[in-house]
Amino acid sequence: MAAPERTGETDTEERADIDRPWVTIVWNDPINLMSYVTHILQKLFGYSKDKATDLMLDVHHKGRAAVSHGSREQMENDVSRLHAAGLWATLQRD
Amino acid sequence: MGDPAAGLTAAGLTAAGLTAAGLDGSGLVMARVRRSRGRPVVSLSAAETHLLRGLLGQFDETLAARAPARSDDPLEAAVGIADGPAEPPADPGLARLVPAGYRDDPEAAAELRRLTEPALLHAKIDAARRLVESLPERSGKVTLDGESAAGWIGTLNDLRLVLGTRLGVTEDGDPLGGHRRTAPRAAPYVIYHWLTALQDRLVDAVDLD
Repeated sequence: MAAPERTGETDTEERADIDRPWVTIVWNDPINLMSYVTHILQKLFGYSKDKATDLMLDVHHKGRAAVSHGSREQMENDVSRLHAAGLWATLQRD
Repeated sequence: MGDPAAGLTAAGLTAAGLTAAGLDGSGLVMARVRRSRGRPVVSLSAAETHLLRGLLGQFDETLAARAPARSDDPLEAAVGIADGPAEPPADPGLARLVPAGYRDDPEAAAELRRLTEPALLHAKIDAARRLVESLPERSGKVTLDGESAAGWIGTLNDLRLVLGTRLGVTEDGDPLGGHRRTAPRAAPYVIYHWLTALQDRLVDAVDLD
């Protein structure tokens, strides 16, 4: 089985960082249920249950987790959707 | 642990507000949610229905006091021009529902709040009203489809955010706020925990995977 073509991958990663300079952070709080945070991350971002659970555990144990990356406008939209769901989220430069 | 809402003695969704409305947490049983043909079914006693109506009425008043009147202007409705407040609410319980979108940039946070807060509050008010409309008259069972289950989950979460913030609940603190289970002052905490269990069971019942 041939290995995938690797040339240009570094360029792609750099372009991706430039295209996604902002990040959405979800912060821990004492009221949101772990089950609910996982549920919302799956629902809003289409993450698998495993990935959503990992992110939720980061929020729970580390106090915060980066849940999405993108343009400022995209992150403002993600923050608004998370606030609609009752999570505490902010955006910042990555 | 003090009550952060101490200055809001007459306000709803505070310990005093619940007491004033006669919402003393009596008649609550373990939140009952089962599944029937793939849909969650919530069973409510008359006391539980009465409680939800009371809580949601107070919730509506709390949010409506902050949310701007909705515009009849069709252009404004179509274009979605929103001119909300720039500063967060003074009340921590309400503020928890509309947190700042930027931690370290007050100007950006103010602009985002002006643009988004009114619609955010209106959506929460509307969802709470739909929940009230779905309640039985007294005791009964409510079968929820996908949309209404999501609505219930979100509104129960909103209720818990306002009430829990005002009660000062913490992750590690005494779940009854230092009161004995049967003490009248434990009632708001008993109510909060009942809401928590109901929301948790509903999230389970709509488990995504």
